[in-house]
Amino acid sequence: MREVVSIARARGLQADLFVRRVWEKSIEYEAGVFRGYVAREHTGCGLRVIRPDKRLGFYAFTPPCAPSEAVEQALEVSAFGDVVDFTIPSYPSTTEWRDFVDPRLEELSVREMVEVGEHLVGQLKTTHPEVLTNVRIVAGREERELFNHHEEEIRFARTFFDISVEATRVKDDDILTVYVERSWGNRDLDVDDLLKEVELKLDLSERVVPIQSGQYPVLFTPSGCMVLLHPLLYGLSGRNIAFGKSPLQDKFGKVLFSSLFSLVEVPQEPWALGSCPFDDEGILTPEERVLVESGKVEDGFWDLWSAARTGRRTTASGFRRSPWDMPEPGFSVLKIKNGLRDRETLVEELEEGLVVDSLLGLGQSNIASGFFSCGVQLGFYVKGGEIQGRVKNVMISGNAYEALKNIKELSRDCRWVQGSILAPYMLVEPIQVNAAS
Amino acid sequence: MREILRDLVRRPQNGEYLEIRLEHIVTTSIRIHNTTVERLKVTEERGGSLRILHPKTGWWFVSFQGWDSLKEHVASGLRSVALLPQSRTGVIRGEGTEEEIRFSPREDFREKPLGEKVQLLFAYARMLREASPFVVSAVVEYRDEWRTVYFANSDGSVIFWEKPDISLSFVATARKGDQIEVYRDGVAGKAGFELVRGLEELAHRVGKQAEALLFARPFPGGVYDVILDPVLAGVFIHEAFGHLSEADFLSRNERLQKLMVLGKPIASPVLSVFDDGSLEDLRGSSPYDDEGTRTQRTYLIRKGYLSGRLHSRETAFLLGESPTGNARTISYRFPPIVRMTNTGIEPGTVPPEDLFADIERGVYAVEYVGGNTALELFTFSPAYGYLIEGGKVGEMVKDIVLSGNLFQTLGKIDAVANDFRWTEVGWCGKGEQMGLPTPTGSPHVRLREVLVGGQCHA
Repeated sequence: MREVVSIARARGLQADLFVRRVWEKSIEYEAGVFRGYVAREHTGCGLRVIRPDKRLGFYAFTPPCAPSEAVEQALEVSAFGDVVDFTIPSYPSTTEWRDFVDPRLEELSVREMVEVGEHLVGQLKTTHPEVLTNVRIVAGREERELFNHHEEEIRFARTFFDISVEATRVKDDDILTVYVERSWGNRDLDVDDLLKEVELKLDLSERVVPIQSGQYPVLFTPSGCMVLLHPLLYGLSGRNIAFGKSPLQDKFGKVLFSSLFSLVEVPQEPWALGSCPFDDEGILTPEERVLVESGKVEDGFWDLWSAARTGRRTTASGFRRSPWDMPEPGFSVLKIKNGLRDRETLVEELEEGLVVDSLLGLGQSNIASGFFSCGVQLGFYVKGGEIQGRVKNVMISGNAYEALKNIKELSRDCRWVQGSILAPYMLVEPIQVNAAS
Repeated sequence: MREILRDLVRRPQNGEYLEIRLEHIVTTSIRIHNTTVERLKVTEERGGSLRILHPKTGWWFVSFQGWDSLKEHVASGLRSVALLPQSRTGVIRGEGTEEEIRFSPREDFREKPLGEKVQLLFAYARMLREASPFVVSAVVEYRDEWRTVYFANSDGSVIFWEKPDISLSFVATARKGDQIEVYRDGVAGKAGFELVRGLEELAHRVGKQAEALLFARPFPGGVYDVILDPVLAGVFIHEAFGHLSEADFLSRNERLQKLMVLGKPIASPVLSVFDDGSLEDLRGSSPYDDEGTRTQRTYLIRKGYLSGRLHSRETAFLLGESPTGNARTISYRFPPIVRMTNTGIEPGTVPPEDLFADIERGVYAVEYVGGNTALELFTFSPAYGYLIEGGKVGEMVKDIVLSGNLFQTLGKIDAVANDFRWTEVGWCGKGEQMGLPTPTGSPHVRLREVLVGGQCHA
């Protein structure tokens, strides 16, 4: 791999080569029955070159590929490439970071995975015999390497572990699906906590209750919060700001949201998925970075390209969706600051409202303006401080930026969503609720 | 290569079903953003996968890079699959076939110089920008992909495929103060470079529509009668019903099978729905699916009655029905799963104008942003719409998300027009497999009493 950037250097180019190696193994249960085993092993390489006249070229490939051919391809592309204002950075010479690799995951056998699967399926069969359970368990390891034309290289590795349970209950013509997942960088996933959440959701969903259209306080669960977070992340992206597509471009330093709302990026959070010592452009990540402080917008996400465009500095936010993609502003690990009281108390104090856990149609609305309008996939009606049952055929809508202004309280207890966003329960009032009947 | 594959698929000795897939994929992606080349990349991938089903255990699937290690994977796969836990599954076996499916586009995009592609896109980006002073961001996104596939299975099939795919989309972002609107449209097809020429009018229209959205009123939430244009009606049937007809949802769920028993009335009698992978040269078409089963036309609903479902070899086995050629994969990295191909609502006899007449207050919902489904519940959004008042189409409205329930909404379709057409740009994600081309087709359709999200009308 080193040879590729050496050839580029000899041709008078700046260059970086990003290499991502992933292997993973997974097992699946369908309706409580073992279905099969899947193994994958993939390496992808992305070569970026900058010519002396600042034109950018990119060529991505799967090995094996002749190093000189890769450089030729990237050069051919660069003839039409963007003229860029950034340079390929130098990498630090000391590598103090630690890999987040759990040998217990590297050595995890099919038998051990099956044991976990059997436990989940077996438990749910006992407590909820009418439910059919799909389970997916994935374990793997990922390595990222970067080589540049300065003949420097950096690398890190991490493991990942993901368990998801989908429980389906069919009663007359009512189909309920409860989906719960846990993802983490090591083997210490709390399987019983996951199980408890599935069971609780199934129990609370037993009764379907009606709700009238109107405005209600809504308690978003950690996964429910994502409907409000997505438009904000869109607005904080340096790329969207550079192209004038973000409503936040001139709002930095201003208080836009409730003083209860603070958001930080913690790129080096141990074992969180997304944690990394450097971004996919080789920029060292900070330990912590404030994005929103007590409602005030402090910072966004800038990669080398968007930072150069907007006269800022990169925030170590250049991430690649895959080795086949060029870096774009993104996040590593996020935390929404929590509150003081437990979620149970927040529910108990709700005279009338809705708990929203998962939504249908995220991203189907105009994310740029913050507008959202979603079907409630799993939500519960609360009256007199008690959950009455599940709501069905109901939509919620509003504007995420407005909703973040109207946060009334955040819970003390938090949960990791997809292993990379730590979020509390978020009480927002008012939210428009529309019901079919 | 064919000789090696013929030899390898003969290896199973204990009744295993074995399947090999080798792919070589070359893509060019270009994104012009205003006056700059935001993305320009050429990628090349070579990889393969092996899938084995043991009669006593379960599936063994492995995907790998390069083609060299294939023999070792087959040997170790056959050993390992026997050691998996017991499962209860099987596949319907088929007749072996040897075929070579080639494609000759009119203008082969592999032979077009990169510079010619870039120049054309720059010209489109300029038109997009110049369409309106409110357009702050004009994106032209181009992608071509030439995929060659070797497929072989233990039924004795060895198939060689060429699968080209080309798409171009225009995305305009218009801005007035803090108000930001995005509009997109494009073309896609199993075609050559000729598909992306001559789209000047479309580029201009996309810029104009983004501007128009800035001045459109948000549509108030509530329950309304809705007319879907052919594009949105296609998305609607894909989300509202297509997914529930994919048999993997119910192949192991007896209660769901009872709920979805064939012959049951499920929709109003004006509705007939089909899926057809055997149509010529649509993006969801192919003579064989990714398990080597011949594709076919399958009626899912006939005159309101549930009449069929979509199968892989495995779901057909589990339900005692026949495979329908609907096992598809997005690439060698994933096993084939049950997917739609080209799905459509059969045209009726009424001219589309007649659908509007007796709507007192409703919305004419046009084109689409997206759709989503969770078994019986679904949502889908038009790109924009028009108020209907007293049977007349009025002002433009926006921010419309429609939602429904399978068992209620299909019964509320009371008119299907006669102006059927296909939309090719759609794609579908299921599980971890995103971006599978799934064209939809439909005429205008009228739906009564649909739930629309948004602020209630005062």
